Amino acid sequence: MSTSFPSLFPGMLLDAASRYAEDHIAVQIQGDPVRELGWTATLVPEEAGGVGGNLGDLASIVEGLAAHGLQLPVVETCAVVPLLLQAAGAETARRWLEAVAEGSVQIAPLTALSATPDVDAVTARHLDIGYELSGAVQGVDATLPATHYLVPAQVDGDDAIFLIDAERVGAPRARYRTMEGRLGADFALAQLAVPESACIARGASAHDARAKATDAALLLTAVDTVAALATLIRQTVTHLKERRQFGVALSSFQVLRHRVADMYVKYLGAKGLVIHCFHEHEQAAPDLRRTLRLAKVSLAESARACAESAIQMHGGMGVSEEVLATRMAQRLIASEFRYGDRLLHVARLLAPQACAPQVSLSNQTGSVR
Amino acid sequence: MSIDYAGFRRELESFVRSACPPEIRAVVAAGQKITKREYQAWQQILNARGWGAPSWPREAGGTGWDIRQRLIFEEVMAENDCPPLYHHGLGHIGPVIIRFGTPEQKARFLPRILDGSDWWCQGYSEPGSGSDLASLSTTARLDGDEWVVNGQKIWTSHAHEASMIYMLVRTSKETKKQEGISLLLVPMDTPGITVRPIKTIDGWHHLNEVFFDEVRVRADNLVGEVGKGWTCAKFLLERERLPPANVARLELMRRQVTQLVEGASRATAGLRDFSGLHHKLLMCEADVKGARVMMAQATDDLIHQRPLGVQPSVIKMTCADVAQRLTTIALDAVGPDAAHRFLAEVGDDVPDATWIQNYMFTRARTIAGGTSEVQRNVVANELLGA
Repeated sequence: MSTSFPSLFPGMLLDAASRYAEDHIAVQIQGDPVRELGWTATLVPEEAGGVGGNLGDLASIVEGLAAHGLQLPVVETCAVVPLLLQAAGAETARRWLEAVAEGSVQIAPLTALSATPDVDAVTARHLDIGYELSGAVQGVDATLPATHYLVPAQVDGDDAIFLIDAERVGAPRARYRTMEGRLGADFALAQLAVPESACIARGASAHDARAKATDAALLLTAVDTVAALATLIRQTVTHLKERRQFGVALSSFQVLRHRVADMYVKYLGAKGLVIHCFHEHEQAAPDLRRTLRLAKVSLAESARACAESAIQMHGGMGVSEEVLATRMAQRLIASEFRYGDRLLHVARLLAPQACAPQVSLSNQTGSVR
Repeated sequence: MSIDYAGFRRELESFVRSACPPEIRAVVAAGQKITKREYQAWQQILNARGWGAPSWPREAGGTGWDIRQRLIFEEVMAENDCPPLYHHGLGHIGPVIIRFGTPEQKARFLPRILDGSDWWCQGYSEPGSGSDLASLSTTARLDGDEWVVNGQKIWTSHAHEASMIYMLVRTSKETKKQEGISLLLVPMDTPGITVRPIKTIDGWHHLNEVFFDEVRVRADNLVGEVGKGWTCAKFLLERERLPPANVARLELMRRQVTQLVEGASRATAGLRDFSGLHHKLLMCEADVKGARVMMAQATDDLIHQRPLGVQPSVIKMTCADVAQRLTTIALDAVGPDAAHRFLAEVGDDVPDATWIQNYMFTRARTIAGGTSEVQRNVVANELLGA
């Protein structure tokens, strides 16, 4: 069976994340495992005390956690944060990245999980003594504690990134549990005054960093989806083989066999698409964002279809949160709405400027690394 | 020595762009039906360049290319609107003759496949045995130095224009049903053969019924050992489980349908809403990208001699599904203008109607070569056990 679901990003990082997830899936998260395990250092450059890894390394961690259904904000904490910090001037960036790598600060993005980091929820006004920030940010991941927030904002038509003490931001207006079991929070910034130094990047550097963070978030969410799909199908296969109805295993009914075969075909297609996205990311392809949007929409359709199939095939058990397959289904549907939903991405894809250049893929070997 | 695949691609591109006649490329680009005339002309051009048989070994007159080169070849052909190679001679019976044929058979048949002078069709399916091929009942009995064939084949593509048929015949009923089968090569002009067209839903004539009434065939036209035809048939099917052409052609079709939708969208200037079709096209584009990676991975597995598992079934199902969705999009795009003029009897060609026919023709993609239901069984057996 395992040969039917080979890992996307095999290696020690995947194994470590998988083991951690397996051991902690049934217990309440204590402390700050993402930082304690050193994962925040993955994308931080070596000269800033980090690992100097790439998105493939982070993808291993994402895959390991998703495969066992554990929810941790790895994409936000380990990808979005360091990529946004790198927009700051060299000295500022190095200092904060070092702190991130060694875990002495807990920085989180103050962005809606449903929006990409290049979307402005906050606007800032430049004053004589600093800046004044206003805006509402809904659905921020609040699973882990934060000492600081990174706030993408718009200042006089410019992209900007602010780094602000959590205390100054204040308490959220609302807290809740998300569909897939994370902690979410809504924040409102009402003419929040911050010092001049809080603006760590502005203009082109902020714009590029927010674009990179967006690409990374889309790519890693796609990895999460493929890993979750594999687990969902594995769980469904096991259920069909073990569960008996009318005196026979469910797996003997052809209609169910074909339904699970269709899920598997969707999974392999989704996996191929994610590999394609990684190739484009590695090669800095000019149409990378277009491909990522395409993957986002396609994976959303496949994932939801598989989630609904799995719930149906698990029968009554399929509507119980005790069942891992059900939790994976929740995760898949929640991931659809992370970093822009399918309607948003379709709208961007169909906008007149989004034309598809012709790309030849015959040089691909199919391996991600 | 490692192969310079990028250089190989450039060499192919340069050749096909200059050598493939514009009128042939126009037929392919428009998504129109490729006839024997285009297939043969292009085969002869490729053969003159030494590229007539990409999948054959050098000693048999082929290129000796590895599977990745074949994949690149198919992509370059599709990207440049060249016709695919007609598969029955080159992809099916040619390799079987190379593997199981006598030296005399190789000398007699292979050069005529390479230069396009023989046009082959496949006599496998019968009215009573489609997916269950082993139940076939067309017989061949030895009479002196000739086989005498009686029976009927069905769904025989291009039988009406083929010069040869390779067919499975039952030479014994006394053993297990797979063991009494032999593979026979039969000239189509042999007395006793009757070809009757099957009218299909696409309006084109490509399928036929073929009747054999006391058809006498040279004894030495039997390939391999008597009663071992099943081995040849399995070799053929396994060898062609992963045709690189499928995915490459799919991308060509996607581009064609995209252009069609864009053109129709402009032409109707807001009178019809194409947003749904654009959305479906996006999903096809994503699926083609995924399928191409699947194909590349399977290619890698083939090169490194790793088992292919269910990959051929998954790729086949995906390609068939996307091809059907694409032609369905095309049907909607051209629908109202073309639907009532399916076949042009008088007057100029009716290009839009080609997509109506393509839509109908593509229904066969989930039936021919193993139905999607059979492929799902293969996948389910892997996941759930038999």
